[in-house]
Amino acid sequence: MSTTDFLVIWLSCFGFILACRVLPVLVLQGRSLSPRVEEALSYIPTAVFAALVANDLIGPDMFSQGVWSGLMPLLASAVTLLIARKTHSMLWCCVGGIAAYLVLSLI
Amino acid sequence: MQSSSSSQSLSFRRVLTLALPVMLSYVAVGLACGVLSQRAGMDPVGCFVLSATYLSGGGQFMIANLWLAGTPMGSLIISVCAISTRFALYSASLAPALKRFSKRESLAIAATFTEEAYGITLDQLASGKDWSFGDALALDLVLMLTWAASVAAGAALGSLASIPTALASFAMTALFIYLLIGQMKGRVHLAIAAVSMLAVFLCKCAGAAGAAIPVAAVAGVASGLIAGEATRQ
Repeated sequence: MSTTDFLVIWLSCFGFILACRVLPVLVLQGRSLSPRVEEALSYIPTAVFAALVANDLIGPDMFSQGVWSGLMPLLASAVTLLIARKTHSMLWCCVGGIAAYLVLSLI
Repeated sequence: MQSSSSSQSLSFRRVLTLALPVMLSYVAVGLACGVLSQRAGMDPVGCFVLSATYLSGGGQFMIANLWLAGTPMGSLIISVCAISTRFALYSASLAPALKRFSKRESLAIAATFTEEAYGITLDQLASGKDWSFGDALALDLVLMLTWAASVAAGAALGSLASIPTALASFAMTALFIYLLIGQMKGRVHLAIAAVSMLAVFLCKCAGAAGAAIPVAAVAGVASGLIAGEATRQ
């Protein structure tokens, strides 16, 4: 990747994501929103975090390298979920989840 | 003045306590991202600058992967921008909670958060905790610098670091699971999560993986509004 290539990619992606970050705050902050809009906005974190988890774990080709290779991350995620519910600790979730993934990957 | 500095010290300690698990994850994932970025031809300085400004591991992994796959520049940029649109949803959902801050403070927070910082700040503000502009910005900057330094270190180490990418990526997945569980407040949120996950799967089946997350987010929110209405009736 040349310096020019890097600069084009960086400035394009950075400019776009910066606009995504600041424009909604500029437009929405300080405005009184209808209850329906506030309700919709309150659902965004749940929807996005679920989408991010699913994006990492599931897909049409998840079993392309074998049933176990597709199931293993799901099992590790189930362990992580149990740790999350039990401990409500981000650190334990990460440590426990990675440990579960490592152990299951050795099977 | 002494009590002011001691309360600032306590506040920063609280921020660090919240940030620490995320920082550890960022080191693991950042190193892997840096190694991949170095293979794509980015140097440590470039990795640091990109990481400190773009602030999204998902997008940075995508930049490196698509470049290594020989994707044309225009397609690469469009794909990365597509998955970046979710930050507009984050900011939109954060905007009501930021009303206690000035416009300038709100913009500073919005311009510098990572996904995990967004989740923590939203959680702190929504639950009415004592979370100041200084706390939110300190969290953003600590995580930004940790991420940028880790990616740069990975690029510097290059082929010397052999962290399996799948393992490092799962650290991010574990974080998102934690943040998701924190959002689960009842059946409506369960419905939102289920619909979002299904939407991601369907988008991937349709060959639209780049649009999966924003599409799934919209589908999830819509299902939440429907489920919420049904619950009230």
